[in-house]
Amino acid sequence: MFQKLIAKSMMKSPWLYHINTGSCNGCDIELVACLTPRYDVERYGFKLAGTPRHADIVVVSGPITTQSRDRLVRTLEQVPEPRCVVTIGSCPQSGNVFKGSYSIEGPLEKYCHVDVAIAGCTPKPEAIIEGLYKAAQILQKKREAMK
Amino acid sequence: MSYIHYPVISVMGLFLGAFLVEIFGSKNKKVRFGITLVFVTLATVLTYLLIKPVFFDQEIISYWMGGWKPEAGYAIGIGYEIDGLSLFFGLLIVTTFFLSTIYSWRYMEKDHHLGHYYTLFLMLCGAVLGLVFTGDIFNLFIMIEIMTFAAVALTAFRNNREGALEAGFKYLVIGSLGSSFTLAGVAILYLSCHTLNMAQLAALLSEKGLDGLTGFAFALMIAGMGVKSFIVPFHTPAADAYTTAPTSISMVFSGMVNKAGVYGMIRLVYVVFRAMGLSSVQLLLVLFGTVTMFVGVTMALAQHDFKRLLAFHSISQIGYVLTSIGLGTYFGLFGGLFHAMNHTLFKGLLFLTAGAVLYATGTTDLDRLGGLAKRMPRTTAYFLVGAAAISGIPPFNGFASKWMIYQATYEKAVSTGNIAFAFVTVIALLVSVMTLASFIKVTQAVFFGQCPLALTQTKEVPFSMRLPMAILSLLCLAGGIGYNYVMSYVLSPAVHSVSNAVGYVDAMMGSGYATAHKVTMLQSEPAALSVWNPVMWLLLFVVVLTAVTLVALTSEKRRGPVTTGQEQIPDGKYATFFGGEKSEHSHVAGSDLFWGFKKDWKGYFRVAGNLHSGNVNDYAVWTVAATALITLFVMIFIV
Amino acid sequence: MPDFILTFLKTALHVLIFPGLLFVAIGGLLLAGIDRKVLARMQRRIGPPIVQPFFDFFKLMGKETIIPNAARPAIYKAAPLIGTASLAIMMLFFPLFGHQAAWGSTADLIVILYLMTIPAVAIIVGGSASGSPFAGIGISREMVTMMAYELPLVLVFLAAAKKVGGTSLVFSLDSITAWQQANGCLLFHWAMIPAALALLLVIPAEVGTQPFDVAEAETEICEGPLIEYSGAPLAMYKLNTAMKMFVMTALFTVLFLGGINLGGGVLGWVLGGLLLFAICAVLTILCMTLIHAVTARLKVEHLFKFYWTVVAGLALVSLVLVWFGL
Repeated sequence: MFQKLIAKSMMKSPWLYHINTGSCNGCDIELVACLTPRYDVERYGFKLAGTPRHADIVVVSGPITTQSRDRLVRTLEQVPEPRCVVTIGSCPQSGNVFKGSYSIEGPLEKYCHVDVAIAGCTPKPEAIIEGLYKAAQILQKKREAMK
Repeated sequence: MSYIHYPVISVMGLFLGAFLVEIFGSKNKKVRFGITLVFVTLATVLTYLLIKPVFFDQEIISYWMGGWKPEAGYAIGIGYEIDGLSLFFGLLIVTTFFLSTIYSWRYMEKDHHLGHYYTLFLMLCGAVLGLVFTGDIFNLFIMIEIMTFAAVALTAFRNNREGALEAGFKYLVIGSLGSSFTLAGVAILYLSCHTLNMAQLAALLSEKGLDGLTGFAFALMIAGMGVKSFIVPFHTPAADAYTTAPTSISMVFSGMVNKAGVYGMIRLVYVVFRAMGLSSVQLLLVLFGTVTMFVGVTMALAQHDFKRLLAFHSISQIGYVLTSIGLGTYFGLFGGLFHAMNHTLFKGLLFLTAGAVLYATGTTDLDRLGGLAKRMPRTTAYFLVGAAAISGIPPFNGFASKWMIYQATYEKAVSTGNIAFAFVTVIALLVSVMTLASFIKVTQAVFFGQCPLALTQTKEVPFSMRLPMAILSLLCLAGGIGYNYVMSYVLSPAVHSVSNAVGYVDAMMGSGYATAHKVTMLQSEPAALSVWNPVMWLLLFVVVLTAVTLVALTSEKRRGPVTTGQEQIPDGKYATFFGGEKSEHSHVAGSDLFWGFKKDWKGYFRVAGNLHSGNVNDYAVWTVAATALITLFVMIFIV
Repeated sequence: MPDFILTFLKTALHVLIFPGLLFVAIGGLLLAGIDRKVLARMQRRIGPPIVQPFFDFFKLMGKETIIPNAARPAIYKAAPLIGTASLAIMMLFFPLFGHQAAWGSTADLIVILYLMTIPAVAIIVGGSASGSPFAGIGISREMVTMMAYELPLVLVFLAAAKKVGGTSLVFSLDSITAWQQANGCLLFHWAMIPAALALLLVIPAEVGTQPFDVAEAETEICEGPLIEYSGAPLAMYKLNTAMKMFVMTALFTVLFLGGINLGGGVLGWVLGGLLLFAICAVLTILCMTLIHAVTARLKVEHLFKFYWTVVAGLALVSLVLVWFGL
């Protein structure tokens, strides 16, 4: 019963940690928009955490610049299991308009497994919420797989 | 051999040991330590053996040197008199120097001229023990002199260290001033009463009452004892002395030397002058105590040296003791004596941990230490016990005694209707929180946080240094949990003897002498202590802790994490989070941990910092000015 | 069955279920949920369900516990548990609407005052043991916060003791409640109203809610002392915060509203528990949610100044008024 409760809680209370790896700030603002009264993701239990140690879902935006790569990798390591990685926008998936630049080290898949990728430049808040919700479901599955 | 010889044998043994060490022990370290240990152990055992007659059988031991008994109602010879109060402080003293001796064995191994060290050490011990056992006020002065000069020499013992000589000089100047005041007080008393025996003085003074002359003596003696116990205007040499002396001696200073001053204060005010019934004397002592505890703790917050911080805490804790004793109630006496005892235990423990840190790392600078918890786990545990005890965290002993002090001060406030005493309670509680704050600072700066590269090879200190710390830690815990036993078997006899001036006089001068001179008992009141049951409390705590731990453990089964990474990344998982940056040495050091607090108090800290100028001339002026003020106060309000 | 087994069972029941650990934990988490829900409604959001803190707690229980290399494992793991234990037993010392406290005879105001510092010390020591520099800054702020609210708290306690005791020393919570049963709640004695306000302002700092959450400022120092915590120990810290909400508001109830009498027996206990929870919920909304919704975080030196001037001033007014017999 205890394990079931934990698994269910995994889905009900995912905390986000947001990493900007050279994003143009568009996706970041849309993510913050999800927390506003209009969209209010907190009703699903989503909350922004201050440190990766508290996070369940790591949200990555931006095309992963040379400067940010090591920081990104280090921070991702420090997130406790079970965890999900979600990308916002096209940049972390493909590099978007920055593709081919000398200072871009993307896509994110080179460094870790991406659970949910939300495409768009920038994605709408509705899309972000749906993506995060899917990530929360994946979290629960991962927790159940840990048994 | 009857137990009445024990006190004089312990004191003389220590002095004899001092000579023997100097003669035989200058070459071989085992010989000199052996001699020291033998005489220290002898004094310790003999003093502990006095517990049965004095504490349990309520006997007052009187002993005339060379059989010079009083003739024709005048005491000519030097007498030793051991009542509950003397023995109470005697026990604290022997415990301290016994543990300090054990600690010294390894702690002092790197120093030179250890023969002198042990000589001075034994003289210091003998002087302090003699001071609390003696029944003769001139003998008391002699012991104070020996104590002061041994202490000065020991302060400057590591004279290759920066500031040691300066500290010794400060202590010498201020200490001599204090001794001079005492001597002047003794002389005036002799002039006025033609006797030097404290019991007879008590009787004669009680008959005469305080006049201008004896009032002057009273003021001088209070100032003299104030210098020895380092209360606030006289506290100036303490910080330097505690810091630069070897730590085994710092422990002795805080555990014995300033306790000797407190003992002298209690003995004089309660028994010899019997002035505690006067509300002006109460006000004087409580005022000094409150200022002492407040200034001590705020100055401690501003320090960035481990030992210096502890030194200011010693001053602050003596303030608690003085405040509580100055209330003049049974309640206050219980709290004050209990706190004096606890201060000996936890401050000794803390000084020993500071010494362990110094031994292992070579520094006590809070800005250069850090992360020692992993290297010195046992010392850290002892330190945490000591810090919890001094901050008054239940269930350690500091909580029990501070709790009594709060109750005593507030009880005084409501029973006299004087709101000033309520503010004393408030200040006492605040000082306690600030004490906690400054120990958090030490914890963070020395034991937790990150370890500087220079200290990664630090090793735990040897067993003979850990043993005294372990014993003191246990005593700290025992004093908090078994506090009912401490109350009834240790504190009650001591408190009883403070109020029992009749018994004190009669034991020396023959029975009936006290009543003939109109000595009366201090009015006794039932100690209406509220009941706190620490054992129950602890049991409760353990039960809850176990339950919580069980709940917490049920979910913490080891599970293998699902590896999902496509590229094997180096394991930075257990590194400290630096916002993604590579983890590096970045330690929040202690010197300025509470800047938010300091910013709001910057005016106070500026003034206090300027006042502590480090200039011995200024400090001497403080001492003399404070003595003049005390004299003025006594002349106006008491005589 | 021998008597002592019965006594033991009764004690265990008190400690673990009611009014001890389980009651405080569930009540506290519910209060935290109410706080979040009401806050969301004030900001015209829908907000998380009231049971959200339970989900958070159980989720954290199921997460991996990472102990960083710089940390000292034993203290790092034990610190939150000590905080929880001391919070759970604090409730045992509170008399409940005409009932004697379960362990009332063993404690008084000073013991309560010191027990209240233990959870804060647990956070400080745990954070310090984690070895992070962010935690170093966090513990500094936590400690300054503690020094800030301690002064008004002491003054409030002394005012209450003086009002109840008169010329005798009364620190016991049981006697304070008994006095209120006879003479009406302390809140309705007008001289005590400033003290009640002061205590209401102390509660958010003690619990650490905005604007007094300088120690755990997640947006500037990454949750301060909790930065390295994850998994079960973090869950215990979150539980501690929630329990603090309950215990502190319950303390207000006992001190200022202890005059309500609900009769004895099991029914009295149950009603008392429910009423206590209801009052605590109202107080939570009043002194935490409302202030949270309309303010931004203070700087630590402003916080200190605020508590030592405004709040301590309020409490002092009460103490002086009470002292002169009003």
